[in-house]
This record gives sequence, C-alpha cells and structure tokens, in this order.
Amino acid sequence: MTVATLFDAHDVEIAWCPGCGNFGILQALKETLDELGYRPQDVVVVSGIGQAAKAPHYLRVNVFNGLHGRSIPVAFAIKAIRPELLVIAESGDGCMYGEGGNHLLHAIRRNPDITVLVHNNQVYGLTKGQASPTSGEGFRSKAQPWGNLSRPLNPLSLAISQGAGLVARAFAGDKEGLKGILKEALNFRGFALVDILQPCVTFNPVNTYAWYRERVYYLGEDHNPEDQIAAFQKSLEWGDRIPLGVFYRNPQPTYEMKVEGRAKKRRNLFEEEEFQRVLQEEFAQFL
Amino acid sequence: MVDVTLKVGGAAGQGVQTVSEVLSLILARHGYYVFSIEDYQSRIRGGHTFTLLRVAEQWVSGGKGALDILVCLDEATYHLHRGEVKAGGVILGKTGNEAPGEDVRLLPLDFEGVALRLGNRVFANMVATGAVLAILGIGLEEAREYVRETFARKGPEIVAKNEEALEEGTRLVEASGLSSSPFLGGHQNPSRVSRRYLISGNEALGLGALLAGCTFYSAYPMTPSTGILNFLASRAEAYGLIVEQAEDEIAAINMAIGASYAGARAMTGTSGGGFCLMCEGLGLAAMTETPIVVIDAQRPGPSTGLPTRTAQGDLLFVLHASHDEFPRFVFAPRDPQEALNTVIRAFNLAEKYQVPAIILSDQYLADTRWSYDRLSCEERPIRPSLSWDGASPYRRYALTPDGISPRLFPGGEALVVADSDEHDERGHLTEDLALRKAMQEKRMRKLEVMRKEMRLPFVLEGKDATLIGWGSTWGVLLEVRKALGQKGKSIGVVHFSDLYPLPEGLRDFLKRFPNPVVVEQNFSGQLATLLEQETLLPFPKRICRYDGLPFLVEELVEQVAEVL
Repeated sequence: MTVATLFDAHDVEIAWCPGCGNFGILQALKETLDELGYRPQDVVVVSGIGQAAKAPHYLRVNVFNGLHGRSIPVAFAIKAIRPELLVIAESGDGCMYGEGGNHLLHAIRRNPDITVLVHNNQVYGLTKGQASPTSGEGFRSKAQPWGNLSRPLNPLSLAISQGAGLVARAFAGDKEGLKGILKEALNFRGFALVDILQPCVTFNPVNTYAWYRERVYYLGEDHNPEDQIAAFQKSLEWGDRIPLGVFYRNPQPTYEMKVEGRAKKRRNLFEEEEFQRVLQEEFAQFL
Repeated sequence: MVDVTLKVGGAAGQGVQTVSEVLSLILARHGYYVFSIEDYQSRIRGGHTFTLLRVAEQWVSGGKGALDILVCLDEATYHLHRGEVKAGGVILGKTGNEAPGEDVRLLPLDFEGVALRLGNRVFANMVATGAVLAILGIGLEEAREYVRETFARKGPEIVAKNEEALEEGTRLVEASGLSSSPFLGGHQNPSRVSRRYLISGNEALGLGALLAGCTFYSAYPMTPSTGILNFLASRAEAYGLIVEQAEDEIAAINMAIGASYAGARAMTGTSGGGFCLMCEGLGLAAMTETPIVVIDAQRPGPSTGLPTRTAQGDLLFVLHASHDEFPRFVFAPRDPQEALNTVIRAFNLAEKYQVPAIILSDQYLADTRWSYDRLSCEERPIRPSLSWDGASPYRRYALTPDGISPRLFPGGEALVVADSDEHDERGHLTEDLALRKAMQEKRMRKLEVMRKEMRLPFVLEGKDATLIGWGSTWGVLLEVRKALGQKGKSIGVVHFSDLYPLPEGLRDFLKRFPNPVVVEQNFSGQLATLLEQETLLPFPKRICRYDGLPFLVEELVEQVAEVL
C-alpha cells in the first residue's frame, strides 16, 4: 500500500521501467524519512549516474545528482560542512561498487555519518544489460556473450572486513523489512552501508522477485552484529539462502566528531577588523 | 651594489634545503633581499639536489647562473657545479681532485667530520651555515636566535650543540683567511630595522586561500602542489578549516564541489597529472554552477614527466579541460605577492559567477622564495550572494539575462537541487532539447560579463623589443630588461596574469608594442598561440624552454639578444 508522505514529489515523470525494484525502495525511503520525523529541507540525497541515481529527483529533498561513481566524496564533504543535515548517498551497484569503488573503501576509513544506499540489481540497466560488479559468474550479455568471467564482488564482506560502521542487506520486495533496516541505518551515527537487493525486470532474468522470495530470510536474535567475525561469516552466505538485516554494527567516533571543534574557530573574514587581525598575525609569520 | 649568488648542493636527505632556508631567513632578517630557487629530484635519499640563492642589496626577482660561492655538502656537487663558479668565487666543503676555474679559491671543509666530533652527523648543516655566514661576513647573532627558536623544544643541550656547530663553521673559515674580505662585508644593515619578508609561492597560495575564507581544502599529494596542502593543514586547527587528504584527485575535486554546494568556500590543488583526473569534476562544477577554485601547479609532462621540475605546459589544456564548453576563469600569478591576491580574487569571482576558477602555478613559483619590503593584500573576500524571492518553487537555475541564477545553500526553507545532467530551472534532469539550448546559452552568457572582470597585462614600455610572458616568468623578464638596459637596449615587458577570458580590447592594446618576443616554459609557445587566436595578430618570435629548469637571467639575456 502506498502511503502519502512529506517527501512525495508531485511534478516529476519517473523514468523507471514498470515493476522495477526501485519503486519499492523509493516508497520505503519516503515513508522512513517521514516516520523518523525529518523535514525535506533537512535532508540531502546525493547520487551518481544510472537508473537508481535518478531516485533523488523523485523525492522532495535537497538533491545533488553528481557524476557516475562520485556520490560518496560529495556526500562526505556536505556532511563535513553541514553536520546538522541528514546526508544520504544513493545509487546503483555499478556506480557504488564499480566506478566509485575506491571512494567506498576510503569512506569506510573516514567514517562520516552518512548512509549509503545501493540499489543492487546485479546488472547495468541504463546502458542496457551489461554485467555489473555484482553480476554472477557466467552472466551473459551483449558485452559478455561468453558469460561473465569475473566473480561477483561481495560488498558486505568487504565493508565488514574493513570495520565499517553499519553494514546491512535489504530486499526491495519487502517494504516493511526494508523500512526497518533503513531506520536502523539512518539512526546510526557513522558510516552505514545498506545493500538493497533490487530485481531488474528488464535485464536480469535470473534474480527476480520470485527468485529472491524463495531465498531471503531475516537474521534472527541469535546473530550478534557486534561480532565482526560472525558478521563476516554470515556475509559469505549466498545461494539457496540469502540473509537480510543488519550484519554488522561498529559504533566509533565519526569524522564530524573528530573535527567538531573547528566550526567555532572559523574567523569572520568579511569583517575588515577581523580580516586585518588575521592578516597581521599571518604576515608576521613571514618576517 | 652587493649581488651575490651562491649554490648549496648535496644528496637528497643531506640537508640542502635546511642550509638554504636557514641562510635565506638569516639574510632576510639582516635586511638583504633574497631569492632562492629549489632544484630537487623525485627521490627521498641520494641523487643530487641544490638550492640557488641570490643575496642582494636591491630587490631581485630572478636567479643567476654564475656563482660567487659554491657550498658542496657532497663531492658530486663539486664535480657538477665547479665550472659555474666565476673568477673571485669560492668553493667550500667536499672538494674533488679536478682544478676549479681560474681565480676560484678552494676551501676543503669536512662539515660532517666536524659534526661527528660534536657528537652527531645532524650538526653538519649548522657547521656549513656558520662557514657560509663567515664567508659572507655576517655575524652569528641572528643565526643563534634562529637556533634558539627552532631547537628550544629539543632542550638546551641541542641548542648549545647547534650553536657550537655554527661557531665551528665560522672558525674554520676564519682560520683559512677567507673571511678577511667577506662578500657582504661592510654592507650589512646592523640595526636590522628593515627585516625582509620571505615567502614562497606555495605559502602565498595557501595564505591567499586562508584570507579568502577558504574553509574546505581537499587534495591528493602531488609535487609541486603539496606545499599548499601542508600550509593549509598547518592552519586547519587554528582557523577551523577542513583539510582532507583525498584517496585520489577525482575524490578531491568532488569533495570540494560537495563542500561548496553545502556552503563552504572550497578549493583543491594538484599538478597536471592530477588535473587530468579532475577534468570530469571540473565539468560537474560548471554544470551544477558550483563555485570552486582549482590550483594546477604545473610540471613537465606528458604523463608523470619530470615530477620535481618546472613547466608552463598546461595553459591550453586547462583552457579547454573537460568535455563540451563552459565558462571558467584562468589566472597565473606572477610572484608570491600577487598569488596572495589572486587566490582571493579567484574565490570571489568563482562565487560571483558560480563557475570554476583555475590558478596556474608551477614548480618554479611553488618552491621559489621571494623577499619583499612589505607584503600587501588589496583583495577582500566577498560574502556569498544568496538570493531567493520566496517564489515557489525555488528555481536554482532560473534563466536570467546575465546567466547568473539565484544561489542558495541546502538546509534553508527552499530545497536546492543540483544535477550533472542537463536540467530545468529547478535543477531536475531534463531531455527537453529547447530547454537544453536555453541552459547552455545561459551558462555561456556569463563569459561576456566575466570578461569585464579581467585585467590588462602588466606593462613596462621598451623601444627595441617587448618581452611577452605569463605567470611565474615575470620576475626573470624584469631582470632581463634591466640587464639589457645596462647594455643600452630598451626592452619592454608585457606580462599576463589574467589569462581567461582574455580582457576586452586586447588586440588594440597589443598592437602598440614593438617587436614582440613571447617567452614561455613550454615547447610550442602556448600563450603566443592563444594570443594569435584571440587577436589575429602574429607572434612568430617565441623563446621556449622545456627542459624542466627555470629561465635564469644570463641565459635569457643571451637568447633575447639573439632574436633582437
């Protein structure tokens, strides 16, 4: 059931295929932001390029739709300058794990308080069906007629191994489950990665809604997300059974906390007197 | 008039830069004008590195090749540079078997041996400093003060040992009799009322950013731009800046753009290779009309090229960098003093027109220390002009007559939407091709108003010829003009710091200068080509240096004399 939210954009034409997994993610995100009490002006959604990266345009929020693969550095800097804003980076698997893979690694190290949402459909949609970093071995496309020769990237194992703040997996076909995970991720202080399994109804005939529904299950009470080794082991499970939920949780000081005192030290250089003070202090260093 | 050139050479890691920095500082504090050029290799230990240091009673703005004093911290320095020492000069330090030039005095000194006797090899730098000061005829008072300032934290014993090292160096020179007619003898300013300011290009670029109100600097370390990162990092905690070492230059420029979107004054810096990686980001800044400042400290290329040497080979590149067309500013400050002001101007103009502003530096400007009677800062940072008439929806990219649309930061009442795709007035992506045309025209319209901000080149008139240059060559062009003037030639200088968009009326302006000779540190004469394109005037006489070394006065005098 679709619920009206503060975050609904009314005057946009959505460019996704009918039945796309992106719709479920969009609705879940709007409802989650609403339920958490955010106002649209307090939220910035940064994206890259690809079908998933169009999502921010379909939300009533501040938007920075940047370059392919580059949403994370933009999101990091927005949060560093405006820590009071909720900052989300949202894009697809090709954008976040392929073109922007390096930025993901280093954002984990920096631990900014941002949430990274990856619409993971295991295929390049917008360029019409090539293998993505998460496509299975043997996946056939016009660019890989012999079948994908590379193994798929496991984003969860990667993030858990590097001690990321929060690492979760969700499924676009279960709105309530997805909302629960989004809430945990958005409430978490630190870097949160949510890999969202998203069926591509046009180019991925393998990983369909039905395929996922047969396999997904939620991590239970017996899983301890504070245990990195257990989280890593769980992240390796894929095939007949695919776990969903928060795999790993590692609270630690965020980047913004580490530079928190700096904002207060900024000088008002637009005032002539203050400018002169700084000028004289600095010039004296070169005498 | 005193005008002494000395070279300190050695292997990387031996302390060449320390010796020359200490000497520069002490001499500037004694009221001398100092000009120092760094030459180093892309390595941490070994190899060969030197500093060329010019000390004079009048203001100097370029380096000379003929040496009065050569300080050899290793024997390789002697082999490589002994031929550069002119008659009446001195070579001290580790000398070799070959004879020096005629009337050049040799003073073999074992700086390291003396240092080891004092207890540690590290004191060798102060032994050498003491020896050079004695040859120049400068007392140790300022040097002692420097030692006390610098080593106080390391305790009184280290201070005492360093002072001893200075004295030991001086004693060795005195014992040789070489200090009896010191190079600066009788000319020093004992009252020290007129200490000179001493500042490098990288320090000035960093300081300019600080004064411009830069609150966010992201960069990946790359020679010769790294000094800017180091400078801003050294001020980050005191002034509340965010200074972030990015994982690559792509991240660096995207971070700067994100910070600017969020409300910061943001800058990134790199060298040519890193700038290549930033090109897509440059287009993002242009498309989202997000103001940023990018510094490209040029070095010879293509590719990795010569990492630690100088060049002006990126002019035509940065002018066109990133695909399709968009307006941008390009500046190339002529010296550290101007660099300070240029950075503030670049921030202000980027802000006012919501475009990227590029500053071209190079290894020569970055690492060279200049001295001045005073430093001045005429520019002031302007407040961001945020505007919204309250009409809903807020149109970030409203089509306006001058192309400049109302800018807001996120977090206020209006939602701010920016898109790297072609977009509508609200910022949402569009494939309405009529709108695309209108948006491209809106962005490009800014170029004509931007052009009005640009300043005509610096001019000194001359009857026989006119040297035309840009960026860091200004100082050496002044020196060449002076040197040729002493030979009875009247040489003019026309020097560009504002490179794009070129100022209005340039064709008529340039027509009046006789016999133009364009001097550049690249292969083809890129400024000459640009001027030909923009003014349709011919600039066939070009002096181009592209071996990675800066122009020195004597060589350039000869090259100019040849084309006259």
